[in-house]
Amino acid sequence: MGRTIVTMLEALHSRGPDSTGVALYGSKSEKELVLRVALRGRSLTDALAKQITELVRKRYSLRDSKTIGQYVRLVVDSGDTSDIAKYIESAAEGAEVVSLGHSLEIIKQVGSPEALDKDYKVSDFLGTHGIGHARLATESAVDLSHSQPFWSHGHPDLAVAHNGHITNYHKLRRSYEQRGIRFYTENDSEVIGIYLGLRLSEGMSLKEALTASVSDLDGSFSYLASTADEIGFARDRFAFKPLLLVETDAFVAVATEEIAIRAAFEGGFRVREAQAREVRVWQRSSATEKTPAKSTLQ
Amino acid sequence: MAEILCDGKNTREINAAIKKLIADGVTEIVVRNPAARHNLAVAITQPVQIKFDGSVGYYCGGMIDGPTIEVAGSVGWGAGESMMDGTLIVRGAAGNGFGASIRGGTVVVENDAAARAGVSMKGGLLLIGGDCGYMAGFMAQKGTIVVCGNVGESFADSMYEATCYVGGSIAELGNDAVIKDLSDADVSFLSNTLSRYLGAKYSDPKSAAARFKKVVAGQKLWNFDKREWRTWREAL
Repeated sequence: MGRTIVTMLEALHSRGPDSTGVALYGSKSEKELVLRVALRGRSLTDALAKQITELVRKRYSLRDSKTIGQYVRLVVDSGDTSDIAKYIESAAEGAEVVSLGHSLEIIKQVGSPEALDKDYKVSDFLGTHGIGHARLATESAVDLSHSQPFWSHGHPDLAVAHNGHITNYHKLRRSYEQRGIRFYTENDSEVIGIYLGLRLSEGMSLKEALTASVSDLDGSFSYLASTADEIGFARDRFAFKPLLLVETDAFVAVATEEIAIRAAFEGGFRVREAQAREVRVWQRSSATEKTPAKSTLQ
Repeated sequence: MAEILCDGKNTREINAAIKKLIADGVTEIVVRNPAARHNLAVAITQPVQIKFDGSVGYYCGGMIDGPTIEVAGSVGWGAGESMMDGTLIVRGAAGNGFGASIRGGTVVVENDAAARAGVSMKGGLLLIGGDCGYMAGFMAQKGTIVVCGNVGESFADSMYEATCYVGGSIAELGNDAVIKDLSDADVSFLSNTLSRYLGAKYSDPKSAAARFKKVVAGQKLWNFDKREWRTWREAL
């Protein structure tokens, strides 16, 4: 899975030369939670990594802790962990939980797909599904926090990658902030994950949430959203932003351009562009769930 | 016949190779493994045949005048855009803006086309074997659009003298688009067009042609009339 997504990102690097990120889903374990923590606006040092680790050990049952590049990767017993991200972020100054989940791991940074792969060995990751993003920043800062994919803070395993511009972002953001929801960036794409997270906690399925978003979000968007068990996309009502897909018995691939799909997959399959308002969701089958061996992202 | 292998070549090198072969007098060119690269075979003005054995990206066959281009795979955005004359045949599916702004010639896709197919056409024939998406035919001034499958919302919006034919359902007609009865001449044109380009799909093109719906402009938006401000308010 890691190799496939890196190959697709390399093919589209020229569209988004600023930053690169991946959200990858390995084997799912209900018993443990994986967190990836980075620091906002500064580099991670050994001392700060140790501080974060000790803070978590104090309050949670820590199974594993590793420092990899700019991330502290923590594995804890699931137990009572609903507040763990808030705890880390308030106890360690500048810490940001970049991803949290039973299956999800997000790695992103400023730079190319090649550099991301070199720094974090993304290609070695075995998994069932994932999302990649190559960013061309238009309005907000270029740094790790502002790059994509975004984890939807507070909603384990939910990640989003977006191409486009959400024009009712400020309106939505104000209404969410009044409800006490924290925004981590000035990037309009962040609001999509928050929107979907709230919809899912209201009891909607991912498909229902994506469908509702086509009316509730304004502007141009083709975005991918993923949970531990499902992956899907939604496209705006005017089909402003490109999105191509192919489904075969062996795989499903979705990309901004066919170049990425042709680079990563061989065969005589047919690729088509999604229609305006189109929403699709695919489930992780029990068969594919057993396939990947346990692997750890570096 | 000559071949060009795209592996390791960029767009400019492939297009230069195509033009070099044409200058050398070659009339049939096969381009292998295009891998969805953009801007291939644009602005070709000689009556040559060019075949791509896979998918191509954006603007393939744009601004051509005379050649016949066949794409075995799918095409990205704006394929055949602004062509003057010639033929572009796509065996796979088409992205947004398929055949947009063509002035003449024939643009065919055997399967679905995405949004805004044939917008602002000024002549020629656009044939879609499958379904087409949102806003096809918007502001088309002249020419013919034939969609064998279903069409999306805002179909044939604000058109001038273009004519559309739809074999399937219409999700929503655009502003000022009206359905007209088929004449004998319409059925014969459709029957010939279907058998010529989509013969494998239609065993009985004549009876298939008779089931199409014809969509043209209602001419309500051609001249501004302040007594019809309601129509204008809706359209704008």
